[in-house]
Amino acid sequence: MSAQKKKAFQIEAFKHRVVVDPKYAEKTWKILEHAIHEIYNHNASGLSFEELYRNAYNMVLHKFGEKLYSGLVTTMTSHLKEISSSVEAAQGGLFLDELNRKWAEHNKAMQMIRDILMYMDRTFIPSTHKTPVHELGLNLWRDVVIHSYAIQSRLQAILLENVRRERSGEVIDRGLMRSITKMLMDLGPSVYQDDFEKHFLEVSADFYRLESQEFIESCDCGEYLKKAERRLNEEIERVSHYMDARSEVRITNVVEKEMIENHMHRLVQMENSGLVNMIVDEKYEDLGRMYCLFRRVPNGLVLVRDVMTSYIRDTGKQLVTDPERLKDPVDFVQHLLDLKDKYDKIITSAFSNDKTFQNALNSSFEYFINLTSRSPEFISLFVDDKLRKGLRGVTEEDVELVLDKVMMLFRYLQEKDIFEKYYKQHLAKRLLSGKTVSEDAERSLIVKLKTECGYQFTSKLEGMFTDMKTSQDTMQGFHASQDVDIADGPMLSVQVLTTGSWPTQPITTCNLPAEIMGICEKFRNYYLGTHTGRRLSWQTNMGTADLKATFGKGQKHELNVSTYQMCVLMLFNNADRLSYKEIEQATEIPASDLKRCLQSLACVKGKNVLRKEPMSKDIADTDTFLFNDKFTSKFFKVKIGTVAAQRESEPENQETRQRVEEDRKPQIEAAIVRIMKARRVLDHNNIVAEVTKQLQSRFLPNPVVIKKRIESLIEREFLERDKGFRCLLVVLLSSNFRPPCPVHHLLTLYLFFELEKDNARGGVLLGSEEFYRCWLCRLPEKSCYSHAISVIDNAELRGG
Amino acid sequence: MKKEDTVKLISSEGMEFVIDKEAAMVSQTIRNMLTSPGGFAEAEHGVVTFPEINAVILEKICQYFYWSLQYSRGKETDDSLSFVIRGFSFVAESTPDWCSCLRGSVYVVLHCMVAYLQISCVIVLT
Repeated sequence: MSAQKKKAFQIEAFKHRVVVDPKYAEKTWKILEHAIHEIYNHNASGLSFEELYRNAYNMVLHKFGEKLYSGLVTTMTSHLKEISSSVEAAQGGLFLDELNRKWAEHNKAMQMIRDILMYMDRTFIPSTHKTPVHELGLNLWRDVVIHSYAIQSRLQAILLENVRRERSGEVIDRGLMRSITKMLMDLGPSVYQDDFEKHFLEVSADFYRLESQEFIESCDCGEYLKKAERRLNEEIERVSHYMDARSEVRITNVVEKEMIENHMHRLVQMENSGLVNMIVDEKYEDLGRMYCLFRRVPNGLVLVRDVMTSYIRDTGKQLVTDPERLKDPVDFVQHLLDLKDKYDKIITSAFSNDKTFQNALNSSFEYFINLTSRSPEFISLFVDDKLRKGLRGVTEEDVELVLDKVMMLFRYLQEKDIFEKYYKQHLAKRLLSGKTVSEDAERSLIVKLKTECGYQFTSKLEGMFTDMKTSQDTMQGFHASQDVDIADGPMLSVQVLTTGSWPTQPITTCNLPAEIMGICEKFRNYYLGTHTGRRLSWQTNMGTADLKATFGKGQKHELNVSTYQMCVLMLFNNADRLSYKEIEQATEIPASDLKRCLQSLACVKGKNVLRKEPMSKDIADTDTFLFNDKFTSKFFKVKIGTVAAQRESEPENQETRQRVEEDRKPQIEAAIVRIMKARRVLDHNNIVAEVTKQLQSRFLPNPVVIKKRIESLIEREFLERDKGFRCLLVVLLSSNFRPPCPVHHLLTLYLFFELEKDNARGGVLLGSEEFYRCWLCRLPEKSCYSHAISVIDNAELRGG
Repeated sequence: MKKEDTVKLISSEGMEFVIDKEAAMVSQTIRNMLTSPGGFAEAEHGVVTFPEINAVILEKICQYFYWSLQYSRGKETDDSLSFVIRGFSFVAESTPDWCSCLRGSVYVVLHCMVAYLQISCVIVLT
């Protein structure tokens, strides 16, 4: 409740006596003045509080407040002047001590004085807007003592000198420093800042500027960072002990700027000890320290990240363009994985898993992995090696680890469709030769690929597995259906492959030996009996055979050979010696394959079941071959040359790439049509951008190729150039879209199907006559585009 | 009552009132007298002399102290003015012929309590 409401009451003041004495004020003041003197002279015991309080109360009540107040100011000021002199007189080290002591005494005196003059403080001062007693005491202390000419600069100098001494290792009186800085803060934040902090920061900046220069000349990067960290921690500790907490961030900014920011480039690039050396030597502690320190300064981490990124890119680029490295794909990929592991470890242990660093690492890897066109092939070869032998005897969890790492590299590839092609080839070889270490591992990888790229990527791969399984069942059925006397002849095992799922192989000629032909026909009849309407063709370039052979001295061996090799060897059942030409004629195997086959039969030490004349390494058309009676081997079973997947030779590589490029064309066209169906009208640059976006999960389309595809689509009347615009190429779906000869033109069918998908025949919303007329009418250019859009929209509403 | 917990208030006529320190310190002035540093006589001896306050008024004031303590313990959020009025009526009613003993109006007493002795619950009337 405010006093205003009670103005109705007339409150008479409680006055002790009516004042008649004209010298009353002076007398009363004298009593109080005396008391203040006594207080400052530590003589206050024995004074009566009540008496002093009553006198002050009366003075104010009788309207002598002004006299009381000004008397107070004068008295206090004169006492403080005395104090000031005594502090000035203190020698050297005792200066701070004396100042501190006097300050404590002054505070005590002030409290006593304020208590006595409480009535004035609460009534007279607020109404006259004067400074309250306590604040008055602080202000007078500040003005008369601290800011006195002799004391101000000396105080500042001594405080800074103490800091300097402590920085050079001396021990100082921290308690005293604390009291002094606290005093400055009590006098007001601007006093603390102007009389101390400002100069402290300046002096510190100079100090650290010098020290950092000294250090950087004499220390290597790691040592320097250790020193910087130590100084930083020191300063933080110093502030906590005897400065205002708000100084911490200011002084740390100074240290950060002088010691780190000013030298950061030099530190990072330092020869033999800079960032790159730390990475190479795996100095996790130093790297961690660098990260923490550089994080404090603007662009510190940006610098570290940039240097690291360019280093990774350079070393990566070196790795992928080094022809020595490219000779061994498995080693190459293992190297990549090791590199990734190394950097991951650095980022986790030293860079506290910073996401921006992770991203920089990922983009660097993506950059250099795609610098060589061989990466997709090599990664597939690496997987092939692992799945053939590398993962034998490895626990399930470790298998998963390896496969996950492979997936990680896979994600970096820009040309994932090339990887797909090679993977299919290698997988086919593994499946058909039965050389996979673990089917679970194979399936696991397929699942991972499916998760990453979608069902379409892996559907064919899964088809291959299905074929293998189905073939097993078919073989069981076949054997069950045959008569017993078959057991005398050759035993046949067939794998039936669905054409679409497996990598396309050219059909080659090959004359199978008669014994084999027989049983093959039996199988063909069996199979076609149960599956009408299908066509079987024997893939003679892919099979294997086990032959029992008896040599000169009667030694028997079982030879494991390819189908081609079997055809060649069976010829020697009827002749001891054959020329190259004769063999070629009899088997009808293509020349290059035949030569390779003969080479592995005759020219490889330990596997030479044939002898060649002349005994050279290469096969010439004029060579003659003889059965090698003298063949010996430690083993009963001899395996001859089923070649594991090899890295392709240059021409093979070119061929594969070309095939992939061909496959890309319809994919691009489908993307273009999909986009145009949605957008109706679009300019060239945007089409290119959209197509790239749609296809980037499989490969990076070449804009030139996209342009060609657009032209091709225009030629085939899927798309149409807009007649209205001159500068932009605006392309829209043709209004008389009718595919030519769908039965014959496979590609057109494919696209047609795309368009048919949701029953909008070629987007024929443009087909109405009205639209056509409108489109031909001559409208002012600017509104052409928007007019087209609005007509399209309206046509849609009316259901075209 | 222990000696350390009490304080003696002496009126102008010399009448002594020994009350609990806690009660006396309802008055901010008395509180300052007893707790101010520097060794004032009152704190040293535990005796406060009021040469200008007579016994009757001082008695009322002491009674108010106790009443204030008692009631402020229970009712923290009481409205200041109603507390004052209740306090005042307590003071007025406890001695029927109280008014006639006073030199001056009852409001003088209030002013004494408020301004001079700094009894905060009554402060609103200043």
